[in-house]
Amino acid sequence: MWFVRFVTSSIGKKLVMAATGLLLFLFLLTHAAGNATIFMSSAVFQDYADELHSHPLIVLVFSSALLAVLLVHIGVGLYLFYENRAVSNNRYVVSKRVVKNSLASATMPYTGLFVLLFLVIHIFGFTFSPKDVPISSTVRDMLSNFFYALFYITAFIALTFHLSHGLWSMLQTFGVNHPRYELFIARLSLVLPLFFFLIFGGIAFYFMTGLGANY
Amino acid sequence: MSSSINLTLKIWRQPHSDALGSLETYTLDHISTDMSFLEMLDVLNEKLTKEGKDPVAFDHDCREGICGMCGAIVDGVAHGPEKEVTLCQLHMRHFKSGDTLVIEPFRSRAFPIKKDLLIDRSALDRIIQSGGYVSVNTGGTPDGNSIPIPAKQAELAMDAAACIGCGACVASCPNGAAMLFTSAKISQLALLPQGQVEGKERALAMVAQMDSEGFGNCTNARECEAVCPKGISIRNIARLNREYLTAVLSEG
Amino acid sequence: MELNARVPAGPLAEKWDNHRFANKLVNPANRRKYRAIVVGTGLAGASAAATLAEQGYQVQVFCIQDSPRRAHSIAAQGGINAAKSYQNDGDSVFRLFYDTIKGGDFRAREANVYRLAQVSNEIIDQCVAQGVPFAREYGGTLANRSFGGAQVSRTFYARGQTGQQLLLGAYGALSRQIKAGRVAMFTRREMMDVVLVDGRARGITSRNIITGEMESHVADVVILATGGYGNVYFLSTNAMASNVTAAWRAYRCGAGFANPSFVQIHPTCIPVHGDYQSKLTLMSESLRNDGRVWVPKNQGDLRKPADIPEAERDYYLENKYPSFGNLVPRDVASRNAKEQCDLGKGVGSTGLAVYLDFADAISRDGRETIFKKYGNLFQMYEKITDSNPMVEPMMIYPAVHYTMGGLWVDYDLMTTIPGLFAIGECNFSDHGANRLGASALMQGLADGYFIIATAVANYLGTNKLEQINEHAAPFLDSRRGCEDRIARLLKNSGGGPAGKCTVDEIHKELGRLMWDNCGMARNATDLQAALEELPKIGKKFWDHVYIPGNTREINQSLERAGRVADFLEFAEIMIRDALTREESCGCHLREESQTEEGEAKRDDANYSHVSVWEHGGDGAPKLHKEPLSFEFVTPSQRSYK
Ligand SMILES: Cc1cc2nc3c(=O)[nH]c(=O)nc-3n(C[C@H](O)[C@H](O)[C@H](O)COP(=O)(O)OP(=O)(O)OC[C@H]3O[C@@H](n4cnc5c(N)ncnc54)[C@H](O)[C@@H]3O)c2cc1C
Ligand code: HEM
Ligand code: FES
Repeated sequence: MWFVRFVTSSIGKKLVMAATGLLLFLFLLTHAAGNATIFMSSAVFQDYADELHSHPLIVLVFSSALLAVLLVHIGVGLYLFYENRAVSNNRYVVSKRVVKNSLASATMPYTGLFVLLFLVIHIFGFTFSPKDVPISSTVRDMLSNFFYALFYITAFIALTFHLSHGLWSMLQTFGVNHPRYELFIARLSLVLPLFFFLIFGGIAFYFMTGLGANY
Repeated sequence: MSSSINLTLKIWRQPHSDALGSLETYTLDHISTDMSFLEMLDVLNEKLTKEGKDPVAFDHDCREGICGMCGAIVDGVAHGPEKEVTLCQLHMRHFKSGDTLVIEPFRSRAFPIKKDLLIDRSALDRIIQSGGYVSVNTGGTPDGNSIPIPAKQAELAMDAAACIGCGACVASCPNGAAMLFTSAKISQLALLPQGQVEGKERALAMVAQMDSEGFGNCTNARECEAVCPKGISIRNIARLNREYLTAVLSEG
Repeated sequence: MELNARVPAGPLAEKWDNHRFANKLVNPANRRKYRAIVVGTGLAGASAAATLAEQGYQVQVFCIQDSPRRAHSIAAQGGINAAKSYQNDGDSVFRLFYDTIKGGDFRAREANVYRLAQVSNEIIDQCVAQGVPFAREYGGTLANRSFGGAQVSRTFYARGQTGQQLLLGAYGALSRQIKAGRVAMFTRREMMDVVLVDGRARGITSRNIITGEMESHVADVVILATGGYGNVYFLSTNAMASNVTAAWRAYRCGAGFANPSFVQIHPTCIPVHGDYQSKLTLMSESLRNDGRVWVPKNQGDLRKPADIPEAERDYYLENKYPSFGNLVPRDVASRNAKEQCDLGKGVGSTGLAVYLDFADAISRDGRETIFKKYGNLFQMYEKITDSNPMVEPMMIYPAVHYTMGGLWVDYDLMTTIPGLFAIGECNFSDHGANRLGASALMQGLADGYFIIATAVANYLGTNKLEQINEHAAPFLDSRRGCEDRIARLLKNSGGGPAGKCTVDEIHKELGRLMWDNCGMARNATDLQAALEELPKIGKKFWDHVYIPGNTREINQSLERAGRVADFLEFAEIMIRDALTREESCGCHLREESQTEEGEAKRDDANYSHVSVWEHGGDGAPKLHKEPLSFEFVTPSQRSYK
């Protein structure tokens, strides 16, 4: 069938990565917007959380879809990683990367896996937290733990790296690469990940440093 | 100005495809900095021959950077440290006396080593055979000027068509992918009205062939573009992705 | 040896049509029963193979390189001529024909050259249809330039990579036929022999370069498209693997070899800089449009070019040829450069170079304009020489570039061996004693796309060929002969290299002999001396050459040795040819035959013929002559004053 042939082709797999990556990125945008309410006040944040959870069907549909997307992204990502490693492992006695700033692209699977680890811990910590404690307190309590928050910040650094190559790469995979927009895209794939880092990292930083102790 | 340098070379020696290879060390003195890299290897081979040893096998022909026959990994970089040149165009003035150079063949799962630095790149030919052409027979073609082509479009096609098929892109891709090579041909033909007629079939066939040859998957690492002696841009890969996507959605 | 050119009757413009009509055809359904061998995948070979396969023949194709796309044609830079007259500047088929005949100094066959001009237009259409990215005007039409001093703009080009783009077009067509199963492609094969059965070419013996195996291939016709033999000089602008082997083996089987001494020496190449040098690089002829050629007036002037004042410079081309100046034809420019260097006025570390100076052009048109025009070439030059022509003058010197001589062929491109055809640079057909710029690509593609298929059909349609296979005695004999020859090449290799010489050492020695004695200017004394010296080099080769390794593996020294052995034999007919042609014509300058002003002087009364050499077995080669008659043009003496 054409669809199977498509997703098993090398470019098909890339396109799957890019499409799922795009969806994950869009999720991050909404998630960041929602979480940014933390900076306003515990009440606003709590309202946002309560409002969200008053629509269980929507939450269920969205989170399962998100999970599916994530699983596909991870599955195909790891598959590519292993396939490519089989081709390239120890090819040369001396090997050197010529491209400058190739760290992000070379570490995609590792930064991705780190984000995955983070996601597991994050979801167990928050999504499956005791239902009787308000979410705003859970956030405060957990992130006030220095090491817990540090782990969060590290994960966000990994995410920033992942996306700094990921966003550009996604556009390239979709065929978006034009000299006129080259600079714009380069800036965008730096600014957007940093923006995420500021918001998500900011939250962790806020509680970790005790700024949000009275939240 | 020309001067002379002394070098230590570590070269991959492998008698034939099935043999185990290893790096052998040679010293070479009084190499003129005006020599090309291949002339330096010629000097080494003359020396080895006179010592009764087996000279290093390496591919080469035009020695002016156009046939795509030469190529090796020098200190980890395909075609050596200078940008946008083939190995035959690299001159020894880019090295210093006392340098140790590690010279290895272009490697990829799809490029079996035949001897020393000499490899089999016929997989690239098979990609072209699967559709890298316009299907016209000889004769009966319309006048050359019957279809005007914007100069800019023709220039872009020429940028892509400059590929010499040396395989440096594959050799330096961390995944051993042949996307730059394949995309260069697909781009050239996709940019010209003559090639657009069978553009979709071409994209599908060439990608299928590329995949079946055992090349790796592109992860947009950009190494190919960085070592390409003809400066072929990964914009061509973006174009290939577009061509492939539209082809697969309508005809796959 | 019978030399019947089989030129068709009728007016010049109708000959090709008449011929095509008179020729026999092969029914499309029957074509698949016939097999053709094409040796070489340059412009000529690739286009011929693709075209024959498209028409339904079964084709076997051979090349030395690892891919058909790497044939030497890939290196051609400047462009390809055609009589399209898109520029409305007075060009026509007849003018292209006339320019080619005249450029060849009236030593080519009128009918062949006219046909070349006729089919030239179809070549462009064909290549455009294949997706060759020719340069375009802003309105989208094809761009043209004037090339090599032509008075009209008829040269089509794709940046400085015309040969590459045309070859990739032909390679695409060939690849399509490989995919379709009508072409069997044999890469990394070197043809070692033509196999004759009952006096007809019925196949070849080839050596597999990877395994060393000798293989026989059977066919009904054999087409050689194996390029030129410029590497007889060791240093040339040709690719390293360019050789005379295929043509020479055909000659040894009885094919006539025409005009072997006609060699074009290109004036604008990067000078030799050391004895390790392996090849010479051509710099485009277009540089002479803006560059001024000069040498210091005084011998041995070692000052930097910038320190030599205007009054002490000799712009010798401009002074000697006021109306053409720096744009005199290739042979004239080359000879004059040599003359200046022989006078001790050459520049550079070897004294074998002249300046090509852009300073005036830069001050006239501005840095930007000049860089835009020649930037690519300047960068290429700088990569090789480490000197920037925007700042200091370029140094150039002539180098061997193209061989007009080659296997003799009739109007149907068939050699004197029935069933053996020769196309492209390896035949002698269209360029006479000198080739015009951008005409070799045209000829290769004309032969391959538009001429050879008609000729092959006629041959197959008029001859009945027996079924044979590779176990037939002539194939076995040929294989054995080739194996014996390799054994002879390797016979010195037993006792190690001590006291022996390498293949390259001998090749360089041969090259020097040929360059000094049978190069840009020739005279009887030097040629005679070379003829005496040559067997000594040959003997040294066979007695002392040391080739490491064995024959059952990749052995690049052995490959080269085989080619050098053939060059050594071939050089003899080259020298003899130069010696017997006691006139100057085109690229062949006999010092004894010059005008009072020191220009080449043709002798039409005695030398208006093609010299064709026949292998004489153990005796001396025999000279035959194909008289040239000019019905449609009147030979005139060239003058560029
Ligand atoms: C640097 C340079 C620039 C040039 N620029 C121009 C230009 O601008 N315009 C122009 O018109 N001409 C130009 N020429 C000349 C032109 O390129 C050649 O004359 C032409 O390409 C020859 O084509 P061909 O098909 O006859 O042979 P080639 O392209 O030389 O091909 C020979 C083929 O034969 C094969 N072969 C040879 N020997 C054997 C053997 N023994 N066994 C098996 N295979 C064999 C080779 O593998 C190869 O495939 C230039 C030449 C040079 C050197
Ligand atoms: C919120 C989380 C994530 C986001 C927003 C995200 C986003 C992206 C994006 C946009 C790309 C670029 C796609 C392309 O190259 O076209 C990408 C690539 C990749 N991602 Fe993720 N990702 C996330 C999580 C993960 C996880 C958990 C993994 C675990 C393995 C992972 C592994 C990879 C890999 C290996 C690639 C590179 C694939 C390639 O270049 O071909 N990602 N990601
Ligand atoms: S030898 Fe032809 S590209 Fe280097």
